[in-house]
Amino acid sequence: MLWQLALRNIWRNRRRTLLTLSAMVISSALLILCLGVFSGMLKDMLASATEQYFGHLVISAKGYQDDRDMFANFPADLDLPALRHPQVTGYSPRLRSFGLLSFANNSAPVELLGIRPQHEQQVTSLQDHLQSGRYLREEERNGAVIGAGLAKRLAVQPGDELVFVTQAADGSIGNDLLQVSGIFSTGDQGHDNSLVLVPLGWLQQLLVLPGKLHEISLRVEQPRQAAILAGQLTGGMPPELEVLDWGQMLPEMKEVVASYDVSRMIIVTILYIATGLGILNTFFMSVLERTREFGVLMAVGMRPGQIRLMVLLETLAMGLISLIFGVGLGVLLSLYMAFVGIDLSGSLTPITYAGGTILPRLHAVLETANILVPAVVLLLVCLLAGFLPANRAARMQPVVAIREE
Amino acid sequence: MPILRCFLLFLLLYPATVSAFDLAELIRKVEQQYNGDSSEIELEMTIKTGHWERQLKMESWSLGRERFLVRILAPAKEKGVATLKVDREVWNYLPKVDRVIRIPPSMMGGAWMGSHITNDDLVKANHIDEDYDFTLLEEDERRWVIEGIPKPEAAVIWGKIIYRLQKEPLVPIEVEYFDEEDVLVRRIVFDDVQAVSGRTIPLRMQVLPVEKPEEKTIMHYRKVKFDIDLQEEYFSLGRLKGRR
Amino acid sequence: MPLIELKSVSKIYPLGNQQVVAVEDLSLQIEAGEFTVLAGPSGSGKTTLLNMIGCLDRPSNGEVWLDAEEVGQADSKTLSQIRLNKIGFIFQSFNLVPVLTAAENAEFTMMLMGIGKKQRRQRIVDLFAQLGLQGLEDRKPNDLSGGQQQRVAIARAMAAEPAVVLADEPTASLDTQTSEELLALMKELNREQGTTFIFSSHDPLVISHAQRVVSLRDGRLESDR
Repeated sequence: MLWQLALRNIWRNRRRTLLTLSAMVISSALLILCLGVFSGMLKDMLASATEQYFGHLVISAKGYQDDRDMFANFPADLDLPALRHPQVTGYSPRLRSFGLLSFANNSAPVELLGIRPQHEQQVTSLQDHLQSGRYLREEERNGAVIGAGLAKRLAVQPGDELVFVTQAADGSIGNDLLQVSGIFSTGDQGHDNSLVLVPLGWLQQLLVLPGKLHEISLRVEQPRQAAILAGQLTGGMPPELEVLDWGQMLPEMKEVVASYDVSRMIIVTILYIATGLGILNTFFMSVLERTREFGVLMAVGMRPGQIRLMVLLETLAMGLISLIFGVGLGVLLSLYMAFVGIDLSGSLTPITYAGGTILPRLHAVLETANILVPAVVLLLVCLLAGFLPANRAARMQPVVAIREE
Repeated sequence: MPILRCFLLFLLLYPATVSAFDLAELIRKVEQQYNGDSSEIELEMTIKTGHWERQLKMESWSLGRERFLVRILAPAKEKGVATLKVDREVWNYLPKVDRVIRIPPSMMGGAWMGSHITNDDLVKANHIDEDYDFTLLEEDERRWVIEGIPKPEAAVIWGKIIYRLQKEPLVPIEVEYFDEEDVLVRRIVFDDVQAVSGRTIPLRMQVLPVEKPEEKTIMHYRKVKFDIDLQEEYFSLGRLKGRR
Repeated sequence: MPLIELKSVSKIYPLGNQQVVAVEDLSLQIEAGEFTVLAGPSGSGKTTLLNMIGCLDRPSNGEVWLDAEEVGQADSKTLSQIRLNKIGFIFQSFNLVPVLTAAENAEFTMMLMGIGKKQRRQRIVDLFAQLGLQGLEDRKPNDLSGGQQQRVAIARAMAAEPAVVLADEPTASLDTQTSEELLALMKELNREQGTTFIFSSHDPLVISHAQRVVSLRDGRLESDR
């Protein structure tokens, strides 16, 4: 009965109810869209950090990732069960070297990553970010795929010959020629300005580290669960090796992901405070208008608690209606942004932050929490905004209320 | 500059009378001890790290404080690798790929030839007397202890340098290098003092990084000739490549 | 024992910094089945008295006994329970709930009491027949005439079979003919179902129908005949 009464009451002032409802629907829909886009950015960022360089998990000698000491290497022919784990969808053995890359009169400090092209493509996606030239080929002896910023700085293009100098593991001066195969551009300044992919064999020879690796980078099915998998894989590792997840290699990124949940609540709160005040206003008006009616209802025996419940049910009903339409609209908008999106590269450049890159595009991903949080909070806001008017209605003195015109 | 020469002579003859005013000159003399107006030196460099130990034989030429050329003679793998410094620029020549590489400013802190000497040492060390202010910390009959603090505007990598100098003959005993946090980073110890080509200099210097006690670089001067006939044109990129 | 007994009841309202005495030291007994009018000009205290009998208001002094229970100082929850179970209200301006149909308005108190649907429907059919409201069950109050609305209000007041029905100026908003019909109806209900009716009114028509007229003036009992 109270439900019926509440439902009929909200349609008494049709225009006001529709206005309030549309405000609620639009705010929750926009919120869902906004969180979806926010998640999309975060995913892009995480992907740029992991899928363009680190991988989701990295196996390396203990302590290697702290100082990248050339001598903290391990044999490539170790039998590692982790590589056969069903959650691991790809792996790439790598050797790393820091040194000087030079072309004509230009030189730049660089990071060389010795890789096997077919394996590296299972883990990172630099092959999708080529600006010119092509990716390394398996049979290539001294090809190099270099970052766009670096290519610009050295003024090279595919086909040019580069000199790389570093100190080899035996103390000698390792130096050799590389030929630019391709140039990649990820938007990540750090990588674009200093990263070079070269054939693993070539780098092993240059560094006098035959058959040695610095790390094996893994791709996993569920990147957000990488830390858990890292823990599981650690058991099967030789004692001198460790498995690190992206969160350990990129603590800032981990914090960004963690702070995302907080940011999400802040956005939800700010947007809903505005919506909540609108609902509060509507309900106060609707309660004040019905003062005499509440007085009559109480006179004929309705208890204050029932009056309060009735008003709360009215707000809850509004909440549920706007929830259905708001979530529906929000999901539709998010789906549009997920499949079509908006390209902003004409007016914005990529931003690198916390080791990841925010691409100049608006692109949403659908996550349960991004729909659930706005939905649940919307209902809470409705009940909260309804509580004050409901209490006011319940506290009315019937004698006074009935006299009200 | 005959007046300066007289002054230096005066310094050498009466070392005990040195005052704060002359400290920079004293350091200049120490820093330039291997260079002279010009020099031709054959040396051995032994580099010891936790992972390997190697010995390089090389020859070097210098003119004034701005021109310097060094070329590796042995081992065979690095034979012909050479470094040229003119003013504040440094180039390396790599015979294996027959390329000259200019060392960019960002790599000046990098190790030179895998040793514990940095490129920056090659370029800037010769200006220490200009970039630092000196104070006399201690003095006794045989030696001075002098502290160098960078001048406010100087772009240098050390936060403090302490020289221990022997008065007679004037040779360095030990130099300590501190970083900006006043932590001792490396020491250079000099010994094997001998008179060669009209000067008395320590023929051996050991560079000892403090953080890695097992590592060091030893430079031992074998043949030293000062004041030879060298022209500025000698220090060219062509010469770097070993061509006449 | 009378159904309603007021013992030296006073009601004093604060009005600004003045104290307005609405009812002063009034004692009154009403037996079950009476058809009584509280008469008097505006401000004589009849509405205040009615509110105290109806458990809408508490006396400042004195006791209000309803059905052998002292209700004068009960808390608001108890009062609302008493109102629900024992009292039916009819207001001058009908005061039906606009979002409910005529039938729903009439069965509202029964719903609050938790009476089953079947029983409710039967009672509404009976009452609507008796009140001449057949066919109007699904109309909203705004689609009914004043007389029809007040008859629905009577149905609502009577539906839960209260011990007493209180009607505050029930005919003030109606024309003479409608008022006449309405009073006849209420009299019939009083006679047939034995429901006690107490009116407040200064309408001579109402007073003429009353079995007992209690006249008030300035919050005091003027006459009782």
